[in-house]
Amino acid sequence: MSRGVSLHEGQLLARSLKVSKSTHLVVASVAAAVAANATAAILMTGTVGQIVLLALIFVTLAAGTSAISSDIYVRSSQTIANLRSIGASSRSLSSAIFLSVIGYGIAGSALGAGLGAALGVVLGGQGGIVSLSIAVLGVILASSAAAAAGVYAGGRRVWSN
Amino acid sequence: MEQLRIIQRNETPAEGRFAVEVKHVSKSYGETEIYSDLHFQLLKGTFVALVGPIGSGKTTMLNMFAGLDRPTSGTIVVMGHDITKMPDDVLGEFRASTVGFVPQVQTLIPELTVRENVELPLHFAKVEGENRQRKTDYVLEKVGIRGESKRIVSTLSVGEKQMVSFARAMVNDPPILLLDEPTEALDPLMAEVILGLLRGDNLTQGKTVFVTTHDRRVTELARRTLRVKKKIP
Repeated sequence: MSRGVSLHEGQLLARSLKVSKSTHLVVASVAAAVAANATAAILMTGTVGQIVLLALIFVTLAAGTSAISSDIYVRSSQTIANLRSIGASSRSLSSAIFLSVIGYGIAGSALGAGLGAALGVVLGGQGGIVSLSIAVLGVILASSAAAAAGVYAGGRRVWSN
Repeated sequence: MEQLRIIQRNETPAEGRFAVEVKHVSKSYGETEIYSDLHFQLLKGTFVALVGPIGSGKTTMLNMFAGLDRPTSGTIVVMGHDITKMPDDVLGEFRASTVGFVPQVQTLIPELTVRENVELPLHFAKVEGENRQRKTDYVLEKVGIRGESKRIVSTLSVGEKQMVSFARAMVNDPPILLLDEPTEALDPLMAEVILGLLRGDNLTQGKTVFVTTHDRRVTELARRTLRVKKKIP
């Protein structure tokens, strides 16, 4: 038996758990803001600074998405109980929240990284195509990993309670 | 502290004959003991009513049969599976395929349409596309709410919601149907519709139906009636 959720099932569960456009907007805008600032800063600093900035992106975005994820679970606790009474597993519910949020986290960080790269060049940072690509890619990867880890950790924290 | 005991008719145990086997089950909430050393079986394919005073633990028993609550001690075997030892996620999958549950309190998802609510258990049981659609259409038709399938559940009356709950419980054709006070709070017309569904309609035929009720019309349909009664300390 498959453990994941289909797209349709994920959408139904996300609507059931009131994962709304506002939730998507919060995730995307936070990811974009962090990614934009970090990318611009990365283009203007050395290797050690870049590593520190990527670590900072990871920690802050993971904390933010973890809080959003926990909030979804907590305010939908009765709905979750209802869904479990008809066969929903914690895994399918976690997957639905993960899938409904992660795309917006990645999209927001990609947008932010692009804007940040442009800002970094304008402000006199490294402008080479290789440097820009590495900075943008690094930020997108760090942000996406952070969003994934945060959503997962938020869910785990609630289930374990 | 009140203690409850159950009065039952004798039945001869035989392997594979039982939909539910309750083996020396006790249930307590903190200091309050609800059941003590409960031991009985429900034959496959029978209609059993559970009657008793309000607050006597009837819903607790249904919840334990559905795996939504666990006994403090003892074992509950449903369709040959010991559900008291199942991990939560396995229990969820088992519930999705084996037990149809119509709770007393509405547990429909108000944001979803009638159709979406009814098809949810099929998603959880991993029933795919066309098969899912066919099963949903069938049960909506049988329960008589296919015309309402696109309505958002929050716009339905109490009786209509009960019909949707019933359809949702039946959609995966589970061998066991658990109903908690199914005619409670319904107007006579809607109650009659539910009774009609329980009365030998092919939706419920061959299934083990276990229902808690105060409604004499429901107990009259039952082949067996269990009474929960308060034991004088």
